Parts: sequence; structure tokens; C-alpha cells
Amino acid sequence: MPLDPAHAALVRLVRDEGTRVLATLIRQVGDVALAEDAVQDATVRALETWPRDGVPDEPRAWLTVAARRRAIDIVRREAARTGKEAAAMELTGPPEEQDDLLRLVFTCCHPALAVETQVALALRTLCGLTTPEVARALLVPEATMTKRLTRAKQKIARAGIPYRVPDDHELPERLRGVLSTVYLLFNEGYGPTATPRPALVDEAVRLTRLLRELMPGEASVLGLLALELLLDSRRDARHDADGRPVLLADQDRGRWRAELVQEGVILVGEGLRRSPDRPDPYVVQAAIAACHALAPRYADTDWTAVLSWYDVLLAVADTPVVRLNRAVAVGERDGPAAGLAAIDAVTGLDDYPLRHASRAELLARLGHTADARAAYAAALALPQDAAQLAHLRRRAERVSP
Amino acid sequence: MPQYAALIYSADVDWTLPEYGDEMKEYNAFGEAAAAVIRGGAALYQTSTATTVRVQGGKGGDVVTSDGPYAETKEALTGFYLIECADLDEAVKIAATIPGAWDGAVEVRPVIDFGG
Repeated sequence: MPLDPAHAALVRLVRDEGTRVLATLIRQVGDVALAEDAVQDATVRALETWPRDGVPDEPRAWLTVAARRRAIDIVRREAARTGKEAAAMELTGPPEEQDDLLRLVFTCCHPALAVETQVALALRTLCGLTTPEVARALLVPEATMTKRLTRAKQKIARAGIPYRVPDDHELPERLRGVLSTVYLLFNEGYGPTATPRPALVDEAVRLTRLLRELMPGEASVLGLLALELLLDSRRDARHDADGRPVLLADQDRGRWRAELVQEGVILVGEGLRRSPDRPDPYVVQAAIAACHALAPRYADTDWTAVLSWYDVLLAVADTPVVRLNRAVAVGERDGPAAGLAAIDAVTGLDDYPLRHASRAELLARLGHTADARAAYAAALALPQDAAQLAHLRRRAERVSP
Repeated sequence: MPQYAALIYSADVDWTLPEYGDEMKEYNAFGEAAAAVIRGGAALYQTSTATTVRVQGGKGGDVVTSDGPYAETKEALTGFYLIECADLDEAVKIAATIPGAWDGAVEVRPVIDFGG
């Protein structure tokens, strides 16, 4: 398949429109698997005929008609096979595109589905990836992914997972679940050190933008989008020419993507205005990322502001990792001895490599080489991402005898 | 409307003993509150009263019985309800009000509708 920009744009258009057509068709036929087969067929035909005949004036209407026809075909054929009467399908009705997309979001991210299943379903249905593409994106064999997606659709149908937007009183909790699934997808692509799978980052950002379009007033959605954009703005600076990770302190800030920083910062402001009563954890994390994004050099970082934001974050999301990150910021503002004391006050992270690595960095700065070596050894002994392990090894070499 | 089995896994106790009177009261309260959706159900005697049956060599083979439940687990199947709900969300809501869910767990399983 030629990968020229025009073709890529066409694929993108078919995928985006296909998602909307799918969301509506699922409601109309009442079956995720059937609707998906029908839309898949329609998108394949679009990609065959549009490059030849030109893109229709109303691509969505074209896909809708093609997918409906296909759905009716499938139902009739199934009825003929089983000898049962085909149930009449009501494939018309008022357009509820936004609501249908929201229904699809909440069904794919339903808490009765395992989180890894939610991620795969979101990529398949909301991002419009094909099953082989989902398998490749999540580093799972294609047969395994096919089975996982088939089981998921079967569970939705058999267990009666509803196709609806949760009621107001359930919405905050369900939305939290959706956002944590999307953020998990983002982090799968972003990785701890050097953005190993940028395509997943792009899908997560696209999905978050879709959520923002569907729920424009939700602070947590604005916060997550801001956080993702601000983190992703560093994509090109997170690794050197050899692909090795570069720490925030050493990154070439000229390579940060200014337009993402700007959009992210604006979103932080909007998120803060939308959550005056109770700070939202994503908005606050984005505010911390904005502090970094707005510092021209690492030495210019406003660590007092960073610390204040961490204090706000602790008030709404008190976890050992947040405490550790705050302690590291203390080290930057008040010096390595203060930072070390702050880290040592954080409990519950003995198995977290970055706790030992952060101690090691500060011990090295204090000139306590032997202690730094021991702390690096403790960090390296723990299971972790291969790229992060390699990175820690290189840091440890600086204090090796 | 779909039906669901709500299988209750909790401490393997003798519900007929007077010391479980309070729990029984809670179950009675659940039964009244959820009467509109309950289609059946039962409480079970302890797993020590269970007999597990297998037929060796398939149909018509030797009947082998063993004393005890199919699987020895910390929490045992101690009862079940058959409930009829609009969807899984509603079934989960009902299951969360079954007293067994408060200190054990309730497995919600959709029931096959063979049409008929």
C-alpha cells in the first residue's frame, strides 16, 4: 500500500468517519460485533473505490449506507443459515452522533471489562485500527488479540453491558475509569524514558481530543489532554541521536514542540477555571508539566511553584509516587541534603526503582560515592522497563570505581 | 429481559445456627427489597455436607463419589439468586446489595436464553 500523504489522509478520514458510523450502527443493530463487521466492510470498500472515483461529497453518508446494507446482508444470511426469521431492523431514526460516540466510549471502557481489554477495544472501535494494527500496537500476537477482542464483544453481548451514557450520579466515577484507560494507552506509547511507540501516543491524544469534543466542560478531560500534550511536546528531545534517553534536565528545549506547549498551557488554565471547588488531579499534573514547559532552561525552573502544585496534588491524590516526585523537587530547590531527607521520609516504595535511583543521584551530588553506588545497585536489582534499566546503568557508571 | 445468576461466595458456615441470625435478617431484608427482580434462589448448607459425583469412563461408567465440594477454597459457594434485570449495570447494582458481597463476593453470570 503506498504511504504517500494523500493516501494517509484518506485512511485517516475513513477511520474517523468509520468510528462515527460504527457508534450509531451499534445502537441501531444492538450488536457490537455485527456493526463492526459491517463498518469494516464499508471502510475496506471506501479505501478501494475512493482513490479511483474520488472522495464522495458526504463521506459519512456514503459509509453509513454501505455499512447498513452490509449489516442487513449479514443478518439475512445468518437467518437463512439458521432457518429463523430475520428480525426487522430499525436502521433509521434521528441522528444522535455525539451521544452514540459517548455510548461507545463508555461501553468500551466499562469496568466489567479488564483494563487491557478496554485499551484494545478502544483502539479497535474508537480509534478505528484494524485487529492486526491493534495487535502490533500493543505488542500482542495477532491470534491472541483476535481472541481477546472476540471475547470482549461476546461478553458485551451476553452479559448485557449496556450501550448508554451513565446517569449523572455515576458519571464522575465512570469518566475517571475512561480517562485512566486512555492515560494508560498514552503511557504505553510514551514510556518511562524515550517514547518507544509514538503511534500509540498519537492515538491516545486523538482519543482525548474526541472526549473533549464530547464533554467540553469536563475539567478532568481538559487536564488529561493538557498533560498529554505537554508531555508529548518533549517527544523529539527525550532521546539522543543514538536513541538513548535524555533526562529533563539535559534536554534541548529548542526541540520541544512550541505549539503543543502553548495549547497545553491554555488547556491548564481552562481546566483550572472549570474546577474551582476541587482541584482535578490531571489538571494539577498538567500544571506541574507546564512549569517545566515554560522554563527556558532547567536552571530557570520555578521549583517553588512546582512544590506548591505537588502540595495541591497531594491533597487530592496522595500516593507514594507523588510524594517521591515532590521530594525530588525539594532536592532541586533546597539542595541534595534536603532532598535526600525528603525522599527518606517517603515510605512504601522499596520496590520502586526510581526511588533508589533518585536517592543515588542526590548521594552522588553530595559526594557520597559509596552510598550512591549502593543505591544504584538497589535500583538496578529491581524489575523494570529495559530502556530505563539501560539508562540507570549508564548513570551508575558515573560513580563506579 | 436477561436473567443473571448471582452466585454468593462467602465464609463456609452453617446458616441455620442462631449466631447467624443477624445475617439471615439481612438476607431477608434483601429478599424483600429486591423481590421485584428475584426469580429464584437458595441458601446452601456448608461444603462439609457436599458430595461430589463423577462418572469414570463417561456415561454409564462407575459412579465415584467424594466427600466434600468440587473445589476447596477459602470462600465457598454458599447460596445463589436468579435475578432478572435490564442490563449488567442493573444486575451489578442488585448484586452489591446482597449481604454476601459485603464480606465475600458475588459472581454475576448471564443465564443462557435458549429461546423456546
